[in-house]
Order: sequence, then C-alpha cells, then structure tokens
Amino acid sequence: MSFLKKLVRNREAGLTLVIILLVLLVGLRNPAFASLSNLQFILGDTSIMIILALGMLCVLLVGSIDISISAIMALSAMTAGILMKNNLGLVETTTLVEGVETALAIKTSTPLIVLILLAMGVGAACGLVNGLLIAYGKVLPIVATLGLQYIIYGLSHLVSSGQAIYRKDMSESFIQFTRHNLLGFNSKVWIMLGTFLLLYFFITYLRSGRRLYAVGSNREAAQMSGIDTKRTTLMAHVIMGALAGLAGMLYASHDNKVTQDMAMGYEMYVIAACVIGGVSVTGGFGKILGVLLGALAIGVINNGLTMLRLTGNSEFWKKAIQGAVILIAVVTNVYIKRGHEKRVLRERRL
Amino acid sequence: MVRFTDKIPAFFKRREWLLFGLIVLTFLFFNVQEPNNYTLVKLLNQTRVYMVDVGFMALGMLLVLILGDIDISVAAIAALSATVMGVTYKAGQGLPFGISIVLMLVTGVLCGLVNGLLVIRFKELFPMIITLATQTLYRGIAYIILKDQSAGSFPTWFSKDLGYGLVNIFGLDVPVMLLCLLAVFPLYHLWLHHTVSGHRYFATGTNLTASRFSGIHTDKIKLSAFMLNGLFAAIAGFFLTSRTGSVKYTIGTGFEMQAIAVAVLGGASTSGGKGSVVGLLLALVLLTALKNGLMLLYNDAFILNLSVGLLLILVVLIPNLLGMLNKYRTVRRQRLELAKT
Repeated sequence: MSFLKKLVRNREAGLTLVIILLVLLVGLRNPAFASLSNLQFILGDTSIMIILALGMLCVLLVGSIDISISAIMALSAMTAGILMKNNLGLVETTTLVEGVETALAIKTSTPLIVLILLAMGVGAACGLVNGLLIAYGKVLPIVATLGLQYIIYGLSHLVSSGQAIYRKDMSESFIQFTRHNLLGFNSKVWIMLGTFLLLYFFITYLRSGRRLYAVGSNREAAQMSGIDTKRTTLMAHVIMGALAGLAGMLYASHDNKVTQDMAMGYEMYVIAACVIGGVSVTGGFGKILGVLLGALAIGVINNGLTMLRLTGNSEFWKKAIQGAVILIAVVTNVYIKRGHEKRVLRERRL
Repeated sequence: MVRFTDKIPAFFKRREWLLFGLIVLTFLFFNVQEPNNYTLVKLLNQTRVYMVDVGFMALGMLLVLILGDIDISVAAIAALSATVMGVTYKAGQGLPFGISIVLMLVTGVLCGLVNGLLVIRFKELFPMIITLATQTLYRGIAYIILKDQSAGSFPTWFSKDLGYGLVNIFGLDVPVMLLCLLAVFPLYHLWLHHTVSGHRYFATGTNLTASRFSGIHTDKIKLSAFMLNGLFAAIAGFFLTSRTGSVKYTIGTGFEMQAIAVAVLGGASTSGGKGSVVGLLLALVLLTALKNGLMLLYNDAFILNLSVGLLLILVVLIPNLLGMLNKYRTVRRQRLELAKT
C-alpha cells in the first residue's frame, strides 16, 4: 500500500504510467505502434525536443523564458550549413562492393565537429544577447525573446540570402550524422542521453547549477546570500542558446534541409513539454527527469495521433487534438499539484 | 541643485513623445529615399493592409496585457471566427450574411470565454501556456471545418466597399476600414482611462490581491478582458477577410506576436498595470509607416520582421537604460555630497 501511495505521489512515476498507458491504448488500435522499432523511432524523433526542453528547463528555473529558440536553431544551422556548402569538395576513394574494388566519390567538407561547434557557438551568442537584454537591460523575458525571434529569423534570412540548403550541399558525414545506429538506438538518442547526463550532473551536483534553483525560487534571498543573480540568468540563457544550436544541427541533418524559417513554432511544444514535466513557469521548481518524460509524452502523442488513423486524413484531426491533449495534460497537472498541497497542509495539522 | 532634466515637465517625458519623434523620423527618412512612392496620401491608403486588423487585435491585447496576462490565441480566434462566418454564409447558399456576422462575433466571444475561464480556474498556470494550447485547438477546429478549402464569394458591400472602399474627407482618400478602426479609439480611450470600470483593469493588473480586498471582482474583470479580447479578435478576422476576400484556416498566422509588439511598443508591460490607448495608436502608426517604407525599399518580409524586432527591443530597452543611468548618477551625487560633509 505504501509503495502504491509513493508511486502515486511521485510525479515522474505518474507521468511514466501515463506514457505507458498511452502506448498501450494506441497499441490496441494499431499494434504497429507498440512495436520496439516504432518506440525506438519515437525516442529518436523526440530527442531534439528533449535537448531543447533541457535548455528550456534552465531558463524556466531562473524565472525567465525563451521563445526565440526556433529562430536560434534556424540561424545556427544556417551558418554552419553555409560554411559546409562553401567548403564542399569531392574525395575519390575506393571501397569494396561485393568483393570488387569500386571508385567512389564522397562529398566532404569542413569536419563535422567544427560545424557543430560553430552552430553551438552561434546559438550561445544569441543566448548571450538574450541574457544580456534580460539580466542587465531589465527587459521582460517574453518581450526580449519575442523581439530577438524576429531579429534572428531576419539574420538567418540575411546570412542565407534567401537560399535554402539542400542535401546536395551537404557533406556525407553530415547527412549520415543522424542516421547512425548504435546498440539499436539512433545517434540522436545517444547525443540526447549525453546532454541529459551532463546537465543532470550540472544541475544536481555543481554549485552554479544549484544557483539556478536559488535564483528562481527567491531572487532577493539569492542576491542577499551572495549569488550573482544576473550572471546566473545570463548563464541559463547561454546554455539554452548552445543547446538550441546543437538541436538545430540535428534537425537539419534529420531533415536533410536547412531553410531560413526552419522549425518555426517549435518553441511552443518545448515549453509545453516542460510544463507537462512539472516545471513551474514562474521559476525555481522543476526536475530534469520530469522534463525528459514530458517531452516523451508529447512525442508519443504526436506519433500516436498519426498512427491512430482517425477518420479520413488524420492530419486534420491531429492539429486540433494536439492542443486539446496539451490542455488536458496541463490541467490534470494542476489538479495533481492541488491535491499534493492539500495533503501537505493536512499532514502539517496532525 | 536643480538639473535640467528635472525641469522638463513630466508630460514631455512620456513615451508618447518618443513614439511621435520616431514616427516623424521614419516618415522623413523614407520620404527622402522614395519621394514618389512614399507620401502621406499613399501611406494613408496602405493603412488598409498594415494597420486595421492588427490594430483591432492590439486593442484587445492591450486589455489582457494591462491585467498582466497574455493571450497568444488571438490570431487563431480570428481565423476560427472568420471560418464560421464563411461556412455559415456558404457563398450565399446558407444563412443571411447578417446572421453569419453575429455567429462570427459570438464565436470570438466564446473562444475568449474559454480562455478566460481556464485562466481564472487554473491560477497556477501561466496564461501563456493556456492560450498556447487553445491556439492550436482553435486553429485545429478551423482546420477541421474548412480542411484545405477556402470560403469566399461574400456580398460586394463586404469584399469591395468595406475592403477596398475609400471615403473622401477634406480631399484625402481615407479607407473605410481605417475610419472604422479610428472610430473605436476615442471611445476606448474614454472608457479605459476615464471611467471607473476602465480603471479597475489597471488596479487589478497592478496589484491583484489589493484589488480583490478593495472589492473588485478580479475574476470577473479577467473573464471580461479575455471575452473582449476574443470579440476584438473576431472583428480583426472580419476586416482581414474583407480585405483578402476569402477565408482559409491559415489566415492571420503570426498576427498575435504583432499585436503584442504593438501593445508593448505603445507602453504596455507584460507584467501588468501599464498601457495607454494613445500610445497604442502611435505605435500602430509607427509600425505602419515603418513596414510600408521597408516593403517599398526591400520588398522582403524577413527584413521587415527584423526591423520590427529591433524597434520593439530598442523602445523597451532605451527607457530602462536611461532610468539606470539616472539612478547611477543620483547615487554618485549623493555619495559626493556625503563625502563633502
């Protein structure tokens, strides 16, 4: 009994149960949904959102918000893409195809790691501007990042001079970047796991990570106890920016395409994932595991709605249902929280 | 010691003057660049495209921002209510057009009501999250109703006389739509800034708890703000449709951000308690002048957005920086005086 009670009270466990339930329900209607390969596919598909949601967690923890992330993704992927396009070359190699040595021309360009670092650098720079405006310029986070969103999309248009980058402009290593599998999981999943562990360590064990919580839950108290609240806010935005740059590269490699308005509207899903995962939008409250599960829940819903094959073209229904499902999830979240608070009050009286 | 800046009456320090100066500068700049295409007369005609629908949305958004909330579903509400109008009218086969319009307005108010109810019932949630979800929901419903089709063939008075009509006032051709928008402003200003019921919105936005304890039904105020916002969004959808002539589920995408930008430019703050109708009007004029000029020079939507974003940040950042500088100076002066004694 006490185990069950604990399970119900633990938010992450509850969310996991909901995800499993969703998988089972959709799986009843379409067994292909619950197959191992599809679940692996969903995990790979959601990895980008999880990486972004991890960054958003940092930003939300300090009581800020960033709605410019989709623009940052576009700009950083575009910058790296243009460098790649300009350095594109062919290298002749020979490979063994069915025992016969065959000549093969492979498209090469700037090393992949340089491209990724460049994208993350561009993203971090955008995050820095966001953070400077918010922490030092005292512009409200929504206003600052809304304005920056316009500006960054404009910059990505200027950088690309209106051209998109297609598969033919990409080096082989970049195209294959998100198509490798290791132990049955896509490389995106491994990158996501790496980011997750790194951020988990940072947020749970490092002093500067704990400061994110301190600043978000009580800014004045944090300041009085000697924490540089401005620098902490700045740091959160820089982390968000760098992760958005990384996510932009993954997105571009996954889609084999970089356009100037790439990923428009993605930020809203990321914020929704954080809220479903139990992060407070006013700051100071939220667990990193919850964010992971929240993003997974949205990924399962998105994929499930496609697999359900509702009457006719499911795309028509998908759009409406997504909103309703997010709403229901968020509202359920509130009821759970209220119940928790009531219980705490009752226990105090005893 | 009396400094020069203290002598300037507070009246001249208001944001409206900054906006006014920017409007004049923008106009002069583009007028020099494009003397033939960028004139007051042509600008007046272009207000049809750049000013009216965003203006109505911003009027509703102002109210929500004053309360310290935000509503990102307005563009979706506009799309849904315009869809309802188009589908019920069915190009003359369905209901009479008047009833379609009423249905459209009712849809807008209902959408606002849903937003408002969710916001006051679930106070733990940020209105941004709620309206984010309802945005997808409303546009999704419009999608289900219309699919990929578009609804059109409206009566001529609607798509021609209202959408493209001009009225000659003192030798100037003024679009009918602009007159409709401008007619609302004085009434709205009087109501919001000079009546008790308008002041209640400011009170609630400034301090919710204090307002509740002084007898304001804060929940009702919030609900009414969201409903009015829905109504204004529906009206914006109405004018948008009359301008374009047909309805698709995608109409007005991204307008919510423009509406927020206009309201914030005009002096509203997303943390509540601030906002002015005159500022809103000036911000609208400024944006119209800027957008029209940029479209003439570059004909590029991205550059247009870039400058809107830059403007938004600068107009918010500059007063903040000036305030900080002022504070820094005051502190230094006090320190110097202390050191003397």
